[in-house]
Amino acid sequence: MSQTEAYHVEDEVQQRAYDAQLMRRLLAYVRPYRTFMVAAVLLLFVSALFSSVVPLLNWRAISLYINNPARIEMEHRVQSGDSAAAPALRDQAATDKRGLYKVVVLIAVLMVAEAVIRFAQMLIVAWLGQKAMLKMRVEIFSHLQKMSLRFLDRNPVGRLVTRVTNDVEKLQETIISGIVQVINDLSIVFVILGFMLYNNWRLALIMLSPIPFVFVTGVVFRKYARDSYLEIRRRIARLNSCMQENVSGMRIVSIFNREALRFEQYRRFNADHRDEWFSQVRYYAIYFPIVDFLGTLSVALIILYGGHQILRGQVLFGAAADIGMFFAYVQWSERLYGPIRTLADRYNLLLEAMASSERVFELLDTPEDIPNRPGAPAVSNLRGEVQFNDIWFAYEPGQWVLKGIQLDIRPGERVAIVGHTGAGKTSLVNILSRFYDVQRGSVCVDGIDVRDYEKTSLRRNIGVVLQDVFLFSGSIEQNIRLSNPDLPSDKIRACAEYVNAGKFIERLPSAYAYNVGERGANLSTGQRQLLAFARVLAHNPRILVLDEATSSIDPESEALIQDAIAKLMQDRTSIVIAHRLSTVQHADRIVVMHHGEIREIGTHQQLLARRGLYYTLYRLQYKDQDISRP
Amino acid sequence: MYRPEHKAIPGRPFLTILRYNRPYLKSYLIGGILSVFFVVIGLGLPFIVRGVVRSFTEGQVTMRLLWLYFAALIAIAVTTGFARYWERMLIIRASRKCEYDLRNDYFRHIQTLSQDFFHRTQTGDLMARATNDLNYVRMFIGPGIMGTIDMIQLPLTLAILAWFSSRLLLYTLIPLPFVSIIVYFIIMYMHRQSQRVQAQYADLTAQVQENLAGARVVQAYGIGERETESFTAESESYMRENVKLAAVMSLAWPLIGLIVGLMIVLVLWLGGFMVINGVLALDDFTGFVVAMLLLLWPLVEFGWILTLYQRGIVGMARMNDIFREKPSVRDDEDTQQAFTVTRGGIRFDTVSFSYDSRAVLQDLDFTILPGQTVAIVGPTGSGKTTVVSLIMREYDVNAGTVFIDDLDVRRIPLRALRQAVGYVPQDTFLFSESIRENITFGKPDATDEQIRYACEVAQLTETIDALPGGIDTLLGERGVNLSGGQKQRLAIARAVIADPKILILDDAMSSVDTQTEEKILERLRLVMEQRTSIIISHRISTVRNADLILVVDDGRIVERGSHESLLALRGLYADLHERQLLEEELEHL
Ligand SMILES: Nc1ncnc2c1ncn2[C@@H]1O[C@H](COP(=O)(O)OP(=O)(O)O)[C@@H](O)[C@H]1O
Ligand SMILES: Nc1ncnc2c1ncn2[C@@H]1O[C@H](COP(=O)(O)OP(=O)(O)O)[C@@H](O)[C@H]1O
Ligand SMILES: [Mg+2]
Ligand SMILES: [Mg+2]
Repeated sequence: MSQTEAYHVEDEVQQRAYDAQLMRRLLAYVRPYRTFMVAAVLLLFVSALFSSVVPLLNWRAISLYINNPARIEMEHRVQSGDSAAAPALRDQAATDKRGLYKVVVLIAVLMVAEAVIRFAQMLIVAWLGQKAMLKMRVEIFSHLQKMSLRFLDRNPVGRLVTRVTNDVEKLQETIISGIVQVINDLSIVFVILGFMLYNNWRLALIMLSPIPFVFVTGVVFRKYARDSYLEIRRRIARLNSCMQENVSGMRIVSIFNREALRFEQYRRFNADHRDEWFSQVRYYAIYFPIVDFLGTLSVALIILYGGHQILRGQVLFGAAADIGMFFAYVQWSERLYGPIRTLADRYNLLLEAMASSERVFELLDTPEDIPNRPGAPAVSNLRGEVQFNDIWFAYEPGQWVLKGIQLDIRPGERVAIVGHTGAGKTSLVNILSRFYDVQRGSVCVDGIDVRDYEKTSLRRNIGVVLQDVFLFSGSIEQNIRLSNPDLPSDKIRACAEYVNAGKFIERLPSAYAYNVGERGANLSTGQRQLLAFARVLAHNPRILVLDEATSSIDPESEALIQDAIAKLMQDRTSIVIAHRLSTVQHADRIVVMHHGEIREIGTHQQLLARRGLYYTLYRLQYKDQDISRP
Repeated sequence: MYRPEHKAIPGRPFLTILRYNRPYLKSYLIGGILSVFFVVIGLGLPFIVRGVVRSFTEGQVTMRLLWLYFAALIAIAVTTGFARYWERMLIIRASRKCEYDLRNDYFRHIQTLSQDFFHRTQTGDLMARATNDLNYVRMFIGPGIMGTIDMIQLPLTLAILAWFSSRLLLYTLIPLPFVSIIVYFIIMYMHRQSQRVQAQYADLTAQVQENLAGARVVQAYGIGERETESFTAESESYMRENVKLAAVMSLAWPLIGLIVGLMIVLVLWLGGFMVINGVLALDDFTGFVVAMLLLLWPLVEFGWILTLYQRGIVGMARMNDIFREKPSVRDDEDTQQAFTVTRGGIRFDTVSFSYDSRAVLQDLDFTILPGQTVAIVGPTGSGKTTVVSLIMREYDVNAGTVFIDDLDVRRIPLRALRQAVGYVPQDTFLFSESIRENITFGKPDATDEQIRYACEVAQLTETIDALPGGIDTLLGERGVNLSGGQKQRLAIARAVIADPKILILDDAMSSVDTQTEEKILERLRLVMEQRTSIIISHRISTVRNADLILVVDDGRIVERGSHESLLALRGLYADLHERQLLEEELEHL
């Protein structure tokens, strides 16, 4: 089962937590909002400054007022019976209170200011992240619209959906706020370091001595966490695509009684995913306590060395060191360890975001392998001449599916293609619409190579009814209209009537507004084909291609459709692929394909007369009737 | 008996989460005890600080005493470290186990649901719930629960604060009622907004999913740009909802931080006054402030946990929407568990059926004897596929009864019923696995001999041999790297290999060329001789040899009989035949 994804290209990325180039590209999305970004960073810095000043103010409040040595001195005197000192003490207490009050108000003001700033900053960052990622999301989506079928075949839908939704979501949540957070953390760390060193550098240095160990721990942790994290990503992707496929194919699963087995497979993937998380959890469980321990060690060092300084009567700023200093340093150390502690989480988020962004950029960098030639003209007024000039085409290198196809179709001609399944009929259509490019030879429309047209306009002029009908969930009208606002509703109705779909549509609960469900699940297969027909007619193409478009439709409806095509498609080129000879025999020319080559070309009568491949097909199909004929 | 394959309690997301956590109660309890343990030990810090301050104010500090305090702190740190390690291991691991259970249940539950559910639910939506929403639930369970357990320190810290100075504590608690009110409103808003955001995300996912699944149509009609436009609009509204949510969160965090900060300021102010007035000892004051600081982080964390709760509850509620669904088709107490289909006789007794309000089949009556081959023909949308869906009991009839081997299908265990049926659907679905795995889908233990035989019947041997990987060639999603006819033939092999009692071919060769079809039919005839078979087709050549031909029009059987008798009837079937003949004769002119 491990190879279940092997048809699809590998989903691997190289992992670097930080990659300057990626980062620059990411930042490009924020560029239009850089004033806001700068504002956010400045606000952050201010708030970091404010919050780091608070311990200092606390220190002052304690040392100067609450624990004012002069007042305490007086207190001792009063206590030891010196009543003369009492009034002075009262005065001093009042002064201290006033001083304390001022400091407290200052702190409160700072805090309110900090909160307001933080609110503003967070709001800016959130808004900015959303804006920037909206742009990226739309960019990916629109890039996907340009990707070739070759690419889309090789990448499971679920994975590409993840790019547009989940990966961008990850970036949105982490990148902008992540960058800002890192700046925030760094500014806090530096501001605090500054304060600590400035006020008492000896104490600061001693207190900071565990920091190198913190870094070593971080490095070791990262190494393990990263590998495990990458493995988790792989496993979750597998888990999700397993579920996705099972949901899509649930009908088959239940009809074939394969629920238990399928569940077993899913359960195994799920268990793998969980187990990998277990090891990830262990790394975290070890990392956090170690950092916490080092944090407490710093506090212990403050008490030890700070106490030593106080004992020695160390003088700082003209006053003896006292317990106010303890206070400030313990607070600072807490604030310092906060960011360090969350660094591990930040790192993982960053890793995740980087992985997401790498995948996203890889997708955005995947060149259109069916590009428009620069300056390629849009198609206008096609006559509808089609030439296949010695076409060689393969899906997989070396496995030729079309081998030297040579075919000229005159404007307005009706050509039918018949042949065994796998002969390459659909492939021929695919290269005409330029879903794939040929390896050798050329396809020309009106004498110009299809590679020299602007491809969207080319495709709009070639109406294809695909072999596998696809309907979008939405109303019948939407499915015919296909977001073309210029199509009047009457035209849509008329086309539906033409192909004999009107009858059944009118009887649906809400007629043209009826929701057909995902892939048209609420309709019968034949009805879906009818809608696909109505759709192509409504878009009025110059060249009409029908790839077994009536295979699931009853002969009577088919006859009606044939009439409709005859009326609607007069003077237009049409290519019809079908197995029912009743469908093809009205064609001007019939092409018989076999193993990627054209075996016979001619009118129905000519081909019958040749007694070749076509003749055998024909005999087979009608032999029953032949027998029954009187 | 229907028993739901999950433990969810729809409408009660919170209870559901609790229920999923129940098996791991022990982990949470031990984790909780550990948490209490290290919280208690950790609370030694304020006492140590108080001790230090007291020694200083009393002037009895010595270096030896300082070393003692130092050692005490280290001891505390080491013990809490171990406790924290185990707390994390227990709780977060338990949360991953919960996630595992929840995922399994979600998957298994979806498997039990019937076709009608899948017809009204988009794959993208189901996936969004299984990824995005489930992740929020997990965050609730892991970090959320651990955060909650850590909240045990709140009362303990409060107790210590009271012990230091109950009066000061009282002062500090004054702002608390206001805080609760503010927090309440924030939560309410966050909840509503989370719901919107998560629903919008699912819509977005579904849209991308469909666009990519339908890439061939999108490209063929060159509507990529317009698709991008509508996607942009959808993304923009997603962004707007998200920004609103972000705004509340940006408000909530600093606000909670501010409130906590102001509480400390209050302590500093009032406590400072008390010290200056001599009613509070400096050491108690310092201890108080340090304990207060310890309180700070949990309080701020509390805001974060609230966010986790909100999103988790919303996520669970959204998953519960799916858990609430019950299979419309299921075994119940009337099911005869021991029953197996042995002969394969089928009888429809005045069966009527409708998908929505619209009648699709009306009063169908027919009998297929074991071993017979029956053909169903009729115009597009007349109800042919629906008839066979009812045989497989993908839906339950509205009126009448479908019997298989003379037992109401509703009383046949679904497993036994589906085991008896081999089905080739009208549109082929293949899995992105190897061709071999796809063929043996209904019979994973098939021998190579059986595989070869099935390939032979479906005329696949040659095709497979031509592939570079042979039978182990891997397929893309839905089998994109095969041609339409190859896919259909694979589906035929898949149905044949299981050797079913009843074989159903629903327009199974529409993409197969006549010559190959002829060869397949030739071999299928041997297969069909040994079992009951139902063939739906538009080609007279395919159906003319059937024992019985049912002509369906507009949900009713309008004609029935053998090829000859139907021709004699000169009705719809004769028309169909005539048309095919006429076309041929025209060409002979
Ligand atoms: N997307 C694809 N990738 C690889 N091989 C393909 C792809 N599509 C078709 N083929 C192979 O190319 C051959 C021709 O297929 P196709 O043109 O679809 O035949 P048909 O004549 O039945 O329409 C088949 O053998 C098929 O397996
Ligand atoms: N899942 C569904 N939900 C609603 N209506 C459906 C569904 N499937 C089929 N129908 C409707 O039931 C009718 C019969 O469909 P079906 O049995 O598939 O026809 P067919 O004879 O072509 O096989 C059609 O009108 C179709 O629109
Ligand atoms: Mg084809
Ligand atoms: Mg059908």
